[in-house]
Order: sequence, then structure tokens, then C-alpha cells
Amino acid sequence: MRVWAALPFTRNLRDRRFQALAAALLLAVLAIVVPPLPLTRSGVSVLAVVDITGSMNVRDYTRDGRPVSRLDTAKAALRELIPELPCGSRLALALFTERRPFLLFTPIEVCADFAPLDGAIAALDWRMAWEGDSRISSGLHRAVAMAGELDADILFITDGQETPPLPANGIPPFEGKPGAVRGLIVGAGGHALAPIPKFNDRGRETGFYAESDVQQENRFGPPPADAESREGYNPRNAPFGGAAARGEEHLSSVREPHLKALAAQTGLAYAHLDGPDLRAPLLAAATPRPLPSRLDPRPFLGAAALALVLAVFLAGALRARATPFTPSRMS
Amino acid sequence: MTRVSALLPSLGLATPWLLWLLPLALLPLLLSVTRRSAVSSVAAAPEDPLSSGLRIALTAAGMLAIGGLVLALAGPYRAGERVTRTGIGAQISMLIDRSGSMNETFAGRQPSGAEESKAAASRRILRDFVGERAHDQFAVTAFSTAPMLVVPMTDRHDAVRAAIAAIDRPGLDYTNVARGLGMALSQFGAGAPGVSRALLLVSDGAAVIDPRIQAQLRAEFTKVQPNLYWLFLRTKGSPSITDKPAGEDTPQAAPERHLDLFFKSLGVPYRAFEAEGADAVANAVRQIEALERDPIPYTEERPRRDLTGWAYSLAALGLLLLVLAKLAETDFLRAPVRERSAAAADPAPAAPRRAAA
Repeated sequence: MRVWAALPFTRNLRDRRFQALAAALLLAVLAIVVPPLPLTRSGVSVLAVVDITGSMNVRDYTRDGRPVSRLDTAKAALRELIPELPCGSRLALALFTERRPFLLFTPIEVCADFAPLDGAIAALDWRMAWEGDSRISSGLHRAVAMAGELDADILFITDGQETPPLPANGIPPFEGKPGAVRGLIVGAGGHALAPIPKFNDRGRETGFYAESDVQQENRFGPPPADAESREGYNPRNAPFGGAAARGEEHLSSVREPHLKALAAQTGLAYAHLDGPDLRAPLLAAATPRPLPSRLDPRPFLGAAALALVLAVFLAGALRARATPFTPSRMS
Repeated sequence: MTRVSALLPSLGLATPWLLWLLPLALLPLLLSVTRRSAVSSVAAAPEDPLSSGLRIALTAAGMLAIGGLVLALAGPYRAGERVTRTGIGAQISMLIDRSGSMNETFAGRQPSGAEESKAAASRRILRDFVGERAHDQFAVTAFSTAPMLVVPMTDRHDAVRAAIAAIDRPGLDYTNVARGLGMALSQFGAGAPGVSRALLLVSDGAAVIDPRIQAQLRAEFTKVQPNLYWLFLRTKGSPSITDKPAGEDTPQAAPERHLDLFFKSLGVPYRAFEAEGADAVANAVRQIEALERDPIPYTEERPRRDLTGWAYSLAALGLLLLVLAKLAETDFLRAPVRERSAAAADPAPAAPRRAAA
């Protein structure tokens, strides 16, 4: 007991290095006992609509030096997007062909239900299409309405090639409220025209579409303004001119002006699918939704404790160098 | 997340690169936390085993503190395991008709007020069916003109229910059952032997199956050997499965009857349920559930165990020793000056402190 009494406690308690070590001990003990802190993070709830029409089979992307189709690139981008979304985010999946989206499932959670979600996206195939038309404006308008019903934002991946081509009076009117549903239109495809693969009724590839295989001009509705100057024009018998329409509808590139016009009409954002990175544009365009989350405080406590301990050890070295050889504390 | 797989197969670290900080734990070998006191000659002090023991203990405590903190920051864990067990359940591949007529009521009208559509009724009943038994596995395929894989075979019942929640949305054009059957069969995959497999077709009509595809389907059914259930949602007044047509008995005239005959000829256990209302559908689903009672292996995930707390405990132990040492620290020359009697014979050159004993 006399030994204890002899110790210079007050001096020891005032020692900076003792205080630092005691603080580090306190932090380490806190790291053991403090529970994770409740926190709100933002996630997203998204309806992904994937265009599976014929023009999405155009192989104008490359991966590992091999040409890949727009649909495969879109699928790869979606599959890489899912693990990057914060847990608790939800994703619904729909197909688009003809003139409307077809909902495969309502939103499901991206972490717990990752395996079925990933499997469903991997299974997307152009052969699921029930009709050959590709009326993207109508499809987008209905997809926006569907996303509104599901209380989700929209992610619409398409190349923007309307089949049949839009009539002369342009995009059909949008009946919803622009901006009521937020989201992103993703333009898939290269900027140069590329041939569209053609498949037979057994699903085998048989070549490419030729100019005469597809409708080059939409001859429903009123004729365009320049029709009168066309050869063979007759207001009653040949209002679109006498010759068969020629054009490049059998070739495909991403129709960015059209998609941007659609985005402006519906109040969505637009991004081009360059590589498999959809996360940043999607998170920028989508509504952040609060998700319960937890913050683990231990790394912060542990790092602070480690810094204190290291400082204590290194301070010893520095002070030793600064101390003159003669004992200075002898008083 | 890497595993330290060579030595300890079940241990891992959340952020392994932080272990590059581990050499910092050698710092206590070079430096001490205690105050330095200058002595003219270390050799003047006699060899003292207690002092050298304390020095070693303090060095070890310092290494433990730094090493423990670095390890804790790296986030050690014992990896989770997948355990295969056996439960009661089946692999059920659902093939659901999404043709336009599914949106009509059982009376063949547009749904209004109290009446619900065939799709809404099957949605409600199938949603309760999924998840009733924890170890059932489901796959969902939809078909109209073309078959659509909706959800691959999974035990995540939330995802299956999300797929079933979508089936009362407006349907598509036609009922092309043949290709749908092919896709629904492909959903079983190469499963474990002895697993009960069931194919549940929910449709309100049938279609002629091309003879060429019939042969393919026959071969597939023989290979997979599922139990086949056809839940036929019959519209009131439309022909039953068993009705013979008045005129010629061809598949075109009575597709439902001929699909039934085709199913019967497959050589797999087959039952057809004709439902003319929501109650009949619920009844049929209950019967199917009772029939599919076989053992099924399922995997259970044992969650990983976080060992960070243990690492912090080690660090805290080391820190506690250091703190006590700092608290009990005394200066080499001060104590003997004050109390000449007691502690003059305790010179410890490297770690000038006193035993607390």
C-alpha cells in the first residue's frame, strides 16, 4: 500500500500520453458496446422497361472485341446496375414491344431477391415479343402511366426506332402530366446506321432487312407538307406521291433527337447507353426514396483509437530526441 | 471480401487491405509509452527479472492494442455457411395464361363492381398459395402469343408473389400454349433426384398444338417427369374439357378437349381442374397443395458471424494494461528522493516503474 501511495498520481493523470491512452481505451470499449446507429439512406424504386423489338438485335456494340446486340448490352447494363443500387431499392421489370409495356413483376427488393431478379433479366429475349410493331411513343406513354401506378420511377431502354415510322404529324400527344413520373430514357445503339438482323419463324437468323422489307413511310393520317411537290402527286388518288417511299428505315441507329423529344414531352431525363454504367444517370434522374439503414460507428471509433495510440508511441520518440542528455526534471 | 482461405477456410475480412497497417504493431518494440529518464550508465543497474518481465509485458500490451485495432478495422468475420436440409415441398413451375380473355369474368363479361376477372381471382388465390409452405420453390412463366420467362425457379417467395401480382394487368393477344409448356418445362433444370416437380397450367382456354411440337413436348415431359395440373378457368357457357363437339371432333373444333387428351396421353401423372368461379379455383389449389407433399432438399444460409467485437476486446485489453502502466508510472529518481527507505533498490533502466504488487 505504501507503494501505491508513493506513486505520483496527480502527475500521471496530467500526463498527455496517459490521457490519450485512456481516451483510446474508452473508444475501444465504446466500439464494443455501442449499437449501430439508425440512419436514413436514399434508394430508388424503378420500373425498368426493356425494348425487345427487332431493331434491338442490331449488333453495334462491342464487348471483348466481339460484336454484341443492343439488347445484350442493355441486359448486361441492368445486371450490373442491380448490385450497385443501395439495398432496399426496388426494381420492377417490363418488356416493351408493339405499343405497350408488359409487366413481368411488380417491384422487388434488389438485395434479398437478387437471384430471381438477375435470372429474369438474363432471360430477356427478343423471342418474348408478341408482335413486331415498335410504337415507342405509345409504349413510353403507357410505361410512364404504369410506373405511376406502381409508384416507381421509370427506366426505359430503347433505340428509338419507330416501326412503322411516325406519321407526318409527329409524336402523338402525351396525356399524362409531364414530370409527374420521374426517370430516365436510355438510348441504346450506335450513332452510325447498321443493318437489322432478320429471323425466320423458327427463330433462326436468315440475313438482314432490305429496303423493300420494311415500311419506309407512314401513310396513315394527313400527308406531309411537301407532298404536293412529289412526283405523281394527286390529292385524291396519290396524296403521298406516286412513287414507293424510299428511306433508311431498314437500317438502324440510336434515334437520339426523337428520344430527346420524347424525354422533353414526358419530363424525363435522357442518357445514352455507352457502356454498362447506368447507376449515375439513374440516381440523378430518379426520386430518392428514404430507406431505413444503419450506420456502424465502429470504424470511426476504432480509427480514432488507433490514431491516439500511434500518437502516444510516436510522441515518445519525438520527445526523447528533444530531451537533452542531462536530466531536466531533476528539481 | 476475401477469405484467408489457405489457413482458416471459414475466416474472412471485410476490408483486407487494411492489414497492410499491421506492421505498425511492431512499433512498441522500438518505442515505449513510458516517460524516459536519463541515466548515466545502464550497466550500473543490476539485472532485474521483474523489470525485464514488465518491459516485455508492456511491449506485448502495446502490440496487442495496435494489432487489435488494425484487425478490428479490417472487419474480421467467420463466413456463413449453406446447409442443405430436407423439408416438405415441391418445385412448382407455374405457367400462366396472359391472353386478353383472362381479364374477363367467369361469366365472360368485363369485370364490374362485385365480380372479379379470372386473372384477378387467380392472382388472389395463387398469391396465398405461394409462401404457404416455406420450402416450396416456384418458377413463373407467362404466355400469350409468345412464352415469357417471368421468374426463374427460386425459393424467394417475395419475388414470386411480385410476379403473381402482375398477372391481372391487361393481357395480350392469343393463347399459344405449346411454346409456353416448353418454356415452363425448361424451368425445372437439372434438379436433385427425388424432388417432387409439378407443372401448374392456369389458363382459360386452349389452342391447337402443332403435331411437330407435340412430339417435342412429349419427349420433354418424359425426361422431366413432372406432375401436371391444369387449372382450367372455364367461362360460363363455354365448352367443358369433356364435352364432345356437336360436329366434327377435331382439335380445331374443341381445343380444350384435345389438349386434355394430349395431356392424358403423356404418361405423366395428370389432373385437370375445371373451375367456374373463384371458390372452385381455391378448392383446386388446395387439392394440388395436398397432393404435392414430398420431401425436398433446401439450402439454409447460416449468417456470417462478425468477429470485430472480439478484435476490439483484444485491443481494449492491451490498452487497459497500458493505461494502468501509465497510471502507475513513476520517475526513476523522484521516489527515492522523497522516501529513501522503501524503493531505492528498484532501478529499472528501460521501464522505470514500480510493481503494483
